[in-house]
Amino acid sequence: MTSSTSTTLSTARIAVVDAVLDVLIPGGAGMPSARAVATTTRWLPTALDLRSDLRDQFVAFVDLMGTYPPDHDAMVAALREVATSQPSLFAAATGLLAGAYYLDPVVRGALGYPGQEERALLDETGSYIDLLERVVERGPAYRDAPLDGEPSSGEGDF
Amino acid sequence: MSRDAVDVVIVGAGPTGAIAASELIAAGFSVTCLEQGDWIPRTEFTGATPSWELAAQRRWHPNPNVRGNPADYPIDVSESDVNPLMYAAVGGATILYGAHWVRALPSDFRVRTLDGVADDWPLTYPDLQPYYEELDRQMGVAGLGDDPSYPPTAPPPLPPLPIGKIGLTAARGMDRLGWHWWPAPNAIASRPYRGRPVCVRRGTCQTGCPEGAKASADITHWPSAVEAGVRLVTGARVQEITVDERGLANGAVYVDRQGVTHRQPARLVILAANGIGTPRLLLMSQSRRFQEGLANSSGLVGRRLMMHPYAAVNGVYDEDLESWLGPAGQSIISTEFYETDLARGFVRGAKWQVMPSGGPLGNRSGYHGKADISGDGTVPDPLAGWGADFHRDARRSFGRSFEWGIIAEDLPDPDNRVVLSDTMSDSDGLPSPKILYRTSDNTRRLLEFHLDRAREAHRAAGAIETHDTPLMRDCGWHLLGTARMGDDPSDSVVDQYGRSHDVPNLYIYDGSNFVTSTGMNPTATITALTLRSVRHLIATSRQQEVAL
Repeated sequence: MTSSTSTTLSTARIAVVDAVLDVLIPGGAGMPSARAVATTTRWLPTALDLRSDLRDQFVAFVDLMGTYPPDHDAMVAALREVATSQPSLFAAATGLLAGAYYLDPVVRGALGYPGQEERALLDETGSYIDLLERVVERGPAYRDAPLDGEPSSGEGDF
Repeated sequence: MSRDAVDVVIVGAGPTGAIAASELIAAGFSVTCLEQGDWIPRTEFTGATPSWELAAQRRWHPNPNVRGNPADYPIDVSESDVNPLMYAAVGGATILYGAHWVRALPSDFRVRTLDGVADDWPLTYPDLQPYYEELDRQMGVAGLGDDPSYPPTAPPPLPPLPIGKIGLTAARGMDRLGWHWWPAPNAIASRPYRGRPVCVRRGTCQTGCPEGAKASADITHWPSAVEAGVRLVTGARVQEITVDERGLANGAVYVDRQGVTHRQPARLVILAANGIGTPRLLLMSQSRRFQEGLANSSGLVGRRLMMHPYAAVNGVYDEDLESWLGPAGQSIISTEFYETDLARGFVRGAKWQVMPSGGPLGNRSGYHGKADISGDGTVPDPLAGWGADFHRDARRSFGRSFEWGIIAEDLPDPDNRVVLSDTMSDSDGLPSPKILYRTSDNTRRLLEFHLDRAREAHRAAGAIETHDTPLMRDCGWHLLGTARMGDDPSDSVVDQYGRSHDVPNLYIYDGSNFVTSTGMNPTATITALTLRSVRHLIATSRQQEVAL
């Protein structure tokens, strides 16, 4: 899958997004950082194409974050402030970034996610049939219902 | 522009429109079906691509207000606790449904008699059983017979799909508790079936099945119906059902995608536009004789809307469960707490199902209404889940979690209803439906109880943590009750065969007919009712009063 060229960010905005991602998705626990897999330049355009409805919000978020100093501690404080004061904007932008990050095949491999792959169907009934026998042994699990009913009430009361 | 008259015009090409069309054309009726959506090629489904999760958040989202496709109409939900979900296309909501194929239980048809609330249906489970069994065959349902939740019945035609590690883990927990569980029935092929290939467990069922293993009406019924002579008109948005001077329905007026208005005359009219679309159309079809909307002398068109409030508990386990694997679809189900027990402090109950957890972004990442991450109701750090947490959380939960979903029975309330919006309209200028819907005290008590039990089930299965989604706003999959059936025309819209009390040649074949919601995914019951109703229509057609 190649990233779309229909949505591109300026060099300045790319730098802001990279700084944001350094805080949100650093490397660790055997996973690459978002910067290491070029999330901003390689995968974010695709994510923005798939979620074109978030484009304006995302640009607004980036431009807002661009008003803060880019050092790590300042960026952490800024993100916390935006998450608190504008939670919808924060959620939309960060959800998009997470989605972009997880498009990367190296990231997926590191997580152990093969994608929504094809798997052959196997008969697994042998693994649970003994458990089911205990369900059956408990007998019918439904209430008997009379064939004749009450006249319609018009409204329910409960 | 007016077309030549047909015997039957059907509004909506979802599963019930498909079943009705198939039966009627086979019986020699001339049939035209009007569908505002279009055919969806399976090549458009993204389940087999890396972009699946992001595409599921918008393009394949079940909420039309999120999707905003040309065939969608906006819905005013400003006064609703729940967002209605639907899909306009040939195949209707079966394009995006999870194919959970479960029947109502016998008690569902006698709620008034048994529990003293709501109403009884004008028919019973035994009345529907033969039609349930036939729909199992028509749709190719995979499952295991002898579920003690039901009276004895023919087994599904296909063996059950794998329950997977998530199902086996959940089942062991239920076994420890002595609670009911069963391999889930799904309208998804576990063997090659009537031209459909076998499921490949991709788990992207709710964004369209790329393989065509899932039973959707565009695959199971429409191709043969069209080949047999049904005229299926796509891009046709119906704006009115017209009536003649005798008060008989005599056709449908629709607008095509070029903005041209057409009239399709017919001797009979069948509405199959779902529990929102059908009452909307009836309310738009006012006339001098039907000033409160067509077929609405009872005042109940649009009222008693039920949408199955949905809650869930996600459990995280200390083992790799490969929980992204399908079907999605459902793995196992439980009716342990389905029937009423007044000692619980509420009436009725819920059906549970185990479902996969999706990809790294999480199942339903684009849905409104999220889990309480803290688990204790406190406000977490706004950056919780980011930084070092991001990978740690993913490592802990991805592939190691699954959901017990809870479908709560929703009692009928006349104040929960569909009306026409004064302020919102669709792209053709037709008034949008407005949903007025509040969950009840009974529902809240019911959900609280079931969330407690679902956490208990996860713990018994070995979960190391659980997360609740108390009420998921994007859960209005099941649109029910807005043209209820009954024997008394003063408090029902149609009879047990979907025939309007007011307009003897107008029929409604969709979830609008439901008297109570049951706690089950309704498609099996909606289609069984339709099959029974249309066969009755055909059998009694000589006595049928018609227009034209």
